[in-house]
Amino acid sequence: MEIPYVVTPRKDTGLFNSKIAIWLFLASEVMLFGGFFSAYVFLRLGADYPWPERALPVLPGLINTFVLIGSSVTVVFAWAALKMREWRKFQFFMGITVFCALIFMVLKGVEYNVKFHHQALRLTDYSVIEGHLGKEEEHGKPVLDHHGKEVEENLIFIETAKVTFNTVRFHKPWVEEILTQAEHHHSKLVIAADLSAVTQEGQPAEVLAKAGDPLSIELLNKIQKSYLAARSHNAAYRTAALREEWKSAKAANPGKRGWQIASGVNIDADALAPRLLTEVSTVTFAVDPPARFDFHPRDIKEADGQSRLRDDTVIDGKLLDSPMVFHYVDAIDFQFLAMKAVKKGIDPMVAIENSWLIKNEGFAKEAWEWNKLQVAKIEKELIDKYGINKKTGKPNREPTLKERYRIGWKDFIAKADGVDRDKEKIKLKEEFMGPDYSEREAKETFSHLSVPRDQIGFASKFTPAWNTYYAIYFTITGLHGLHVIGGALVLAFYLFFGRKMYLENPEWLANRVEIGGLFWHFVDLVWIFVFPILYLM
Amino acid sequence: MADTPEAIKKSVRTYLFVGGILFLGTIITVLVATVPMLDVGQHGFDKWDCILGLTIATTKASLVAFIFMHLNHEKKAVYWLFGSGLCMVCSLAGLTALALGDPIFDNFFYSGH
Repeated sequence: MEIPYVVTPRKDTGLFNSKIAIWLFLASEVMLFGGFFSAYVFLRLGADYPWPERALPVLPGLINTFVLIGSSVTVVFAWAALKMREWRKFQFFMGITVFCALIFMVLKGVEYNVKFHHQALRLTDYSVIEGHLGKEEEHGKPVLDHHGKEVEENLIFIETAKVTFNTVRFHKPWVEEILTQAEHHHSKLVIAADLSAVTQEGQPAEVLAKAGDPLSIELLNKIQKSYLAARSHNAAYRTAALREEWKSAKAANPGKRGWQIASGVNIDADALAPRLLTEVSTVTFAVDPPARFDFHPRDIKEADGQSRLRDDTVIDGKLLDSPMVFHYVDAIDFQFLAMKAVKKGIDPMVAIENSWLIKNEGFAKEAWEWNKLQVAKIEKELIDKYGINKKTGKPNREPTLKERYRIGWKDFIAKADGVDRDKEKIKLKEEFMGPDYSEREAKETFSHLSVPRDQIGFASKFTPAWNTYYAIYFTITGLHGLHVIGGALVLAFYLFFGRKMYLENPEWLANRVEIGGLFWHFVDLVWIFVFPILYLM
Repeated sequence: MADTPEAIKKSVRTYLFVGGILFLGTIITVLVATVPMLDVGQHGFDKWDCILGLTIATTKASLVAFIFMHLNHEKKAVYWLFGSGLCMVCSLAGLTALALGDPIFDNFFYSGH
């Protein structure tokens, strides 16, 4: 059957099928992205922390804008070439368009990758540190986790004496990790006392594990099986007993509602006890001799004495020094601290001078003093240029909060080179990837820093978890990136597989390319707003 | 929309010109945001930077929509479809803006004074 109106327009709308369809789709896309931009506005207005203004590197965003605008021009040229029946020209322009999409995605990938490896840390006093963590080493070699990845110097160390597993929730890879660590420290995990349970109704208790039995997945599985069987068995008896109780209670209280008699309905636990099996919900292993185990902070709620993993495994032992170690720090940000201080009616400068960083880290104090001089210079420049308000006696223009309270990696470099913050020249590669520690001659430019665990308020990579700004940034740019991939695939299809259609019915292909082009222009149109809003404001 | 080869050839020049304006607009956006001398309003980012940035972005987006997407001479049905999408966004954003009047944004809501 021939489908009508794929080339010729319908009389009533004046449009061919796919054009109606694409505009319907674009209308829904306007609502989708409109929703996200609204969300951005509300998150920004409602933010309870200093919103990161101009936090993203401008150069990659700018290049991507040029790339998308360029591709918008070439895609319309490709369509025009088809209309004029110039196949070679069409191939040329469409090829450039698809290549532009590739460049866009590569740059976006680089941008995302840099963020996923960049550590952010908010201290308990609301100072913020940014940088890169060091890697754990042993005998000069990097320590690898069970995925073969290098382990960052951000572990919780516990002198472990006892480990209690939840027999239902235990996470197998973590048990294996604990076993590996015990072996590494020449320790053993063994059951402290015989573990007995009634596994058959009316039978005496059976020994599930003897004192001294070592920890193994098989043993935990065996106990888990017994626990689940016991729970199922006992639940059947409890339910039946409860039903009987309700029946008698209703018979004894005719006309009364359920809630009126509920308090009197109880199972006779003593009568039921002889028929029940033993539910072994936890099992404890002693670590012999006690050993230093390490855990990823995301997996454990640590405490001195008793810590708990996310699978409900309880670790008994002394919490050891577990600092978060920055291989280098590339930003110190006091904006959040200053904001909190102002809210409490404290002078932000006093609050900063008393912060943990300034009091304990010489390099931070030095950088802060340098920053104060820089701010004074900006203040003077602004007064010289814009004067002082005669009524209020205050300068007409003042340094921004970012200039006042944030010392970024470009500032550290400028300080090391002995120049003002706006005079430092940055390498092109660094504009994309951030500061390159290894290539800087002055190693002290980016200092090492060891943050005690009790000073850590919240830590995360620059991912959606860090704050709502990064959450909306990844949502909008991620969704936009998916559109770029989708659009590029469609356009590439026309480029590589459109020849046959071109020979059979060139106008049909021209219509299709026009539709693909409309979508591509829309992708460009969205980016025209994304770039200034996320990168420049 | 240009359909004849002559009209399309003529349009190609327009597309090139518009592309140039879009590049220029992008450069201006970056310059006003990063060069202190071109900073409008207060020092650093403020509402005037926001208004200026969004005005340039809207102008650029309009050029893409009207010239590249041919909205300057489309059929009525397209205007209805796209226009209704835009209206829906505006009205929903307007409705959600009412949330700003929600007491949750008011300090009194938490502190009671």
